[in-house]
Amino acid sequence: MNPIDIPPEKLAEEMAEYSRRLGHGLENLLDAEQIDTGVTPKQTVHREDKLALHRYLGADGVKRNPVPLLIVYALVNRPYMTDIQEDRSTVRNLLTGGQDVYMIDWGYPDGADSSLTLDDYINGYIDRCVEVIRKQSGQEKINILGICQGGAFSLCYTALHQRKVKNLITMVTPVDFQTPDNVLSSWVRHIDIDLLVDTLGNVPGELLNWTFLSLKPFSLTGQKYVNMVDVLEDEARLKNFLRMEKWIFDSPDQAGECFRQFVKDFFQKNGLINGGIALGERQVDLKNITCPLLNIYAEQDHLVPPDASRALRGLTGTRDYSEVSFPGGHIGIYVSGKAQKTIPPAIARWLIERS
Amino acid sequence: MSERGFWDDNLLELQQKYWERWSGINRRASGTEAPAQNSPWEMALEHWWQAVSPAVPEITRDFMTRMIDQGKQFFRIAELFSGNAQKQGKPADWTALCGQLVADMQSAGGSGLDTEAGDGRHNWMGFWELPFDNWQRMASTLSLLPGDPLRNMPHGGSPSDMERLFSAPGLGYSREEQAQQQKLLELFAEYRRALQEYSRFFTDIGSESVKRLRDRLGQRTHNGEVIDSARTLYDTWVETCEEVYGERVRTSEYARINGRLVNAAMGVKNHFGIMIDESLGALNMPTRREVRTLQVRVQENRREIRCLQAELEFLKGRFDDLPAARTRRGTAAAATTRKTAPRKRSSVKKPGNFSNESD
Repeated sequence: MNPIDIPPEKLAEEMAEYSRRLGHGLENLLDAEQIDTGVTPKQTVHREDKLALHRYLGADGVKRNPVPLLIVYALVNRPYMTDIQEDRSTVRNLLTGGQDVYMIDWGYPDGADSSLTLDDYINGYIDRCVEVIRKQSGQEKINILGICQGGAFSLCYTALHQRKVKNLITMVTPVDFQTPDNVLSSWVRHIDIDLLVDTLGNVPGELLNWTFLSLKPFSLTGQKYVNMVDVLEDEARLKNFLRMEKWIFDSPDQAGECFRQFVKDFFQKNGLINGGIALGERQVDLKNITCPLLNIYAEQDHLVPPDASRALRGLTGTRDYSEVSFPGGHIGIYVSGKAQKTIPPAIARWLIERS
Repeated sequence: MSERGFWDDNLLELQQKYWERWSGINRRASGTEAPAQNSPWEMALEHWWQAVSPAVPEITRDFMTRMIDQGKQFFRIAELFSGNAQKQGKPADWTALCGQLVADMQSAGGSGLDTEAGDGRHNWMGFWELPFDNWQRMASTLSLLPGDPLRNMPHGGSPSDMERLFSAPGLGYSREEQAQQQKLLELFAEYRRALQEYSRFFTDIGSESVKRLRDRLGQRTHNGEVIDSARTLYDTWVETCEEVYGERVRTSEYARINGRLVNAAMGVKNHFGIMIDESLGALNMPTRREVRTLQVRVQENRREIRCLQAELEFLKGRFDDLPAARTRRGTAAAATTRKTAPRKRSSVKKPGNFSNESD
C-alpha cells in the first residue's frame, strides 16, 4: 500500500483553492486598516527617559481594590501583549476584577541608553514607578505582577524593597535558568556576551527575534504563513493574526549593559538559584521575600519551561506561596480565550483575599 | 609548503568564483536572475503575483511573498511524492524517493547551501534553507551590506594557503594597517568555517528528517492509513522536521556550533568597528569608542545626581525632625498667622510674603 495517495484532481483542487484564497485575501489585506493594539483607555502618570507609566481606566461602578497593581513587563517585546485586543486583554479583565492597574512601558532604548544596568532598571526605574504609585494611592505597599523577564525583575525588586510590596505575582517567570529542557539557556551559554555587547552596544531586537524563531523555525517562519492563508478571508481572524505578527516583530533593542548582566548573572550563572546577583551594592536574596506570592506558569511554554518557573517554590521566605498552572503556551496565557476566562479572575480573587 | 605558489590558477579561480557569486547576488537583488523551471501552477501564481505586486504596499507584499513561497513549498512536496509519479501512470515509489532525498542531502554535505540536485528534490532541500534564511535576514541587519555577503564568499581554496597569507608579517610604513587587514581576513575565514559547520549540521538533520518521515510513512502503511491531501503531507513533513530539529538543537553540540557562528560574526563586526574608528579618528571625527566612553560617564553622573538627591531629601527629613527645627517652624507658623491675619482685610496681595517655613 502507498501511504501517500493524493489524486491529481484533488491536488489541482487544493492548488486552485489556495490561489483563490490568496487572491481574495490580498483584497482583505489591502483593506485592513492600521492595526490597533493596547486597546484599554489609559492615562500616563509618569515619564522618565524612554519609560512611561500608565494607569488604566476601568469602567465606572466597579469596586476597586484600594491597593494598586503594578504590571512589570519584560524588556523583550512590547507590553501591549497584555492588552492586545478588546476581547483578549489581561489588563481589561484585571480591571473588571476590581484591580487598579498600572503598567510600565519600557519604550525603545537607543544608543544613549546602552549604559543602563540592571540596577538602573530595578532599583532605579521600577522603584521610582512604585514611589509614584504609592504617593498617588496613599498606600504604603502596592501589589506587583511581573511577567516573564519582568517577573525575574520583580523578584529582585521585592527581595530588595519588601516593605513596599504587599503581594507579588509572577507569571511565566524563569527562576531556574538551567533546567535541562531550557533550550535558550543552553544556546546562550556558548555565546561570548562581552564580545556581543562590546560589538553591538545595544542588542538589536532582530537578534532576539532570530533566536526566538530559531526555537521552531519551520512552524514559525514557514507553516505559519500557509496557515495564514486559511484566515485571509475572515476579516476578524486576519486582524488577530496581523496583531500577533506586529507584536512578534515589534522587538525593542536591549540596553547593552543590562543585557550583559542579565545573560551572565541569570542565564550563565543561574543567579536566582545559586545566588550572587548584585544590584548596585546590594545582593539579591530571595529569602527576603516574605509577602504572599502567586506563581503562574504555562504547561506548554517553550520559552520558559514549567520547571524553570516552578523552581521558585521554597526559594523565598514567604509562608503564603501558591501556584497556578495554565494548560497553554507562553503567549496563550495572555491572549487565548481560555486564559481570559481563568487567569485574570484567578489573580483578582487571590489579590482581593489578601488586600 | 604546497607545491604550487599562492599566486596560481587556484587564486584566479577563487577570484572568478567570488565575482560570479557577487554577480549572482546582484542579479537576485535586482530581480534579473532567470527563473527556475517550475510547475504550471507555480508559474501561474508567479505571473499573477508579478502583475499585482507593484500595486501592493511593501508591508503587505512581504506577507504575501511569504505565503506564496510557502504555498509553492507545500505543493512542491505534494508533487514530488505524487504528481510526477502519477504523470508516469504509476504509483510513486516513496521509499526509493526518500532514499534519493537522503543521498542528495548527504552528497550536498558541507556545501549544503549550494545543492545542485535536480527538479523537485532541489526544491525539497530548499525547505532546509529556512533556518539559514532566518540567519541571513538577521545578519543583514548587523551588516553594512545587504544580505549576509560573507555567506556567498568562495570557500573552495586551500585553507593552508589562506592561513599562510594571513600569517605573513606586515612590512614597512603601513605595517599596522596590514596587520589589521590580515586580522580581518582571519576573522572572515573563521566566520566562513563557522557557517559551513552550521550548514553541515543542518544537512545532517535534514537527512535525519527524511529518514524519520520514511519511518512515519512506513508506520502509516502498516496501520493502513493514507495521506490524501497536499496539506496533510506538508503538515506531516513540518511536524517531522520540527521534531528532529527540536531533538538536535537541544544537544551541547548544537549549542557550541550556534555559539561559534554568533561569536564569529561578532568577531568580524567588532574588528570592522575598530578599523572604522581608526579612520574616523584620522579624520578628527568622534569615534564610536569615544561616544561609548561619554555614554558611560553620563550615566555615572546621572546615578550620582540621583544618589545626591536622595541623600538631600533624607537629610532634609532628618533636619525637619530636629527639635530646633520644629520650634522654629512653630514660631514661623505663628508669625505667619499674625502677618497674614491683617491681609484678610486687604484686597491687594503683596508679593514676597511667603517663606519656606510656612509651606
